[in-house]
Amino acid sequence: MSNQASAPLIKLRGLKKTYTRGDESLTVLSGFDLDIAEGAFEALMGPSGSGKTTLLNIIAGLDRPTAGTLEVAGERIDSLGESALAKWRARNIGFIFQSYNLIPVLTALENVELPLLLTSLGPAERKKRAETALRVVGLEQRMGHYPKQLSGGQEQRVAIARALVNDPKLFVADEPTGDLDRQSADEILALLEKLNKEFNKTIVMVTHDPAAAERASVTRRLNKGALE
Amino acid sequence: MTLTQFAAKNVLRNKFRAVMTVLGVAVAILTFMLLRTVTSAWTTASDFAAKDRVVTRHKITFLMMLPKRYIGQVRDIPGIKVATYANWFGGKDPKHEHEFFACFAVEQSYFDVFDEATFPAADKERWMQDRRGAIVGDVLAAKMGWKVGDKVTLESGIYRGEWEFNIDGIYTTTRRSMDRSQFIFHWDYTNDNAPAQVKDQIGWVISRVNDPSHVAEAGATIDKVFDDRDTQTLSMDEHAFQASFLGMMSTVLKAIDAISLAIMVIMMLILGNTIAMGVRERVSEYGTLRALGFLPKHIVTFILVESLVIGVLGGVLGIALSYPIVERGLGRWIEENMGSFLPYFRISPVNAGIAIALAAALGAAAASIPAYRASRQNVIDALRRVG
Repeated sequence: MSNQASAPLIKLRGLKKTYTRGDESLTVLSGFDLDIAEGAFEALMGPSGSGKTTLLNIIAGLDRPTAGTLEVAGERIDSLGESALAKWRARNIGFIFQSYNLIPVLTALENVELPLLLTSLGPAERKKRAETALRVVGLEQRMGHYPKQLSGGQEQRVAIARALVNDPKLFVADEPTGDLDRQSADEILALLEKLNKEFNKTIVMVTHDPAAAERASVTRRLNKGALE
Repeated sequence: MTLTQFAAKNVLRNKFRAVMTVLGVAVAILTFMLLRTVTSAWTTASDFAAKDRVVTRHKITFLMMLPKRYIGQVRDIPGIKVATYANWFGGKDPKHEHEFFACFAVEQSYFDVFDEATFPAADKERWMQDRRGAIVGDVLAAKMGWKVGDKVTLESGIYRGEWEFNIDGIYTTTRRSMDRSQFIFHWDYTNDNAPAQVKDQIGWVISRVNDPSHVAEAGATIDKVFDDRDTQTLSMDEHAFQASFLGMMSTVLKAIDAISLAIMVIMMLILGNTIAMGVRERVSEYGTLRALGFLPKHIVTFILVESLVIGVLGGVLGIALSYPIVERGLGRWIEENMGSFLPYFRISPVNAGIAIALAAALGAAAASIPAYRASRQNVIDALRRVG
């Protein structure tokens, strides 16, 4: 597998995002074009309020642009309805959150299995795939553990396994190392590199951490809603 | 894991709160069951009334009496299989002034009409020969400590003075149509010493018809016979007759129904509050689920299932508690002490079914608003609740 740049997986054109509150409107993304190649590992950096998380949310289909278009793998995402967009996310996006966002009443294995409940797979196949994903992140010994029985780094690895289990093309990671110590952060970044290089997964990561950005193949900077 | 298992796992997320809520629902259901059992017990005699019996009373009110000669004319009507009569005696035991029980002066054919009352033939034979003889219900006998052969003195507000009776028999019943707390004795005994205004008067006539499907026509025929007399009659089947007594208590029964309904509404509010608290604490999780591709309908289902499980668990526990309380304690005590009003105080499967259905329905209703709000939550706003 390789992460050689090829045809853009993500194509943003004239992307603009404005929030309106009362009479005031706030432009968060000022209108720009962006291509992200399939197999890329890109870091988005910038000061707080620069619009990087908003850009990530739009790419992930969690938010909609005020103007402009978004294509992922040749499919127009910005025009999808709410239900279609949710199904698209389930098929195509692997989410990695800063706070891991695991469900506390579920074991590591059940957390990883969660996205598969939306598929037509049977229980045995779901379990098998969840176990495989946990093996990939090195947590085969912790499958029956609940989130509170795991360290922060282990929780984030469970979250990565949950993102991986549906075999999506695109991973979006919002400050994936923000809550971790240096050693755990390095382990998570190594895991993301592995996903990128060995499994050819496209990763877009928002981070404040220069050490994390160094792991990415491309680093983009946003400032006041514009790409520098 | 399945979607339902995932939903059910949320029930025990906060074990203390879940247990307390289930207990709260259980207490509400237990109270509901007791109140419903009161109203059911009150209507038992009416619900189980014999289909072939017609009761004939004074047309104006059952407090006014009929001439005794009417019984012969009723018996002559075609289609009437057997007829008897009874008077309200209003008796009470001076040693137990506060114990109320129904006390009837009856003709000897009374037990031919009320054949659901069973007692040994020898006792009946003895009673037939004994002018002061009385047959009493087994529940009343147990409460008062009476047994066959005892002598009992009663006082009456209608027939002045003290009246001595011999307990000749103790009956039980084969159907719930008859109160097991009655005191039944010979009409002749009181009539011979009755005050002038009630002498040779009978309270009401009870007839059995040959064809139960024509019981209404039989009643109409009886009333027609006495239509041109000074004392006119009103006949009705036994169910209607019992219901007319209940009509006097309808306000009380409606009040009990209203209280039981209010209890269920309180239960719904408690459950709704618990579910709303749980939902507020989990907004970020719902945001995560939505991000992963779950739809608003899934969020609604998770919350509804959680509320339903708590509601039904509480309902089952409440019913499970009500059975020993009623069947092994309260029911027997009420039947012994209030048998004239509540002759059969037991849990009915119908009421248990209603309670479970209500617990489930109100559980779903309690979750509806929190579920709707959670499903409408913006995904990004929900995810921002993290950390």
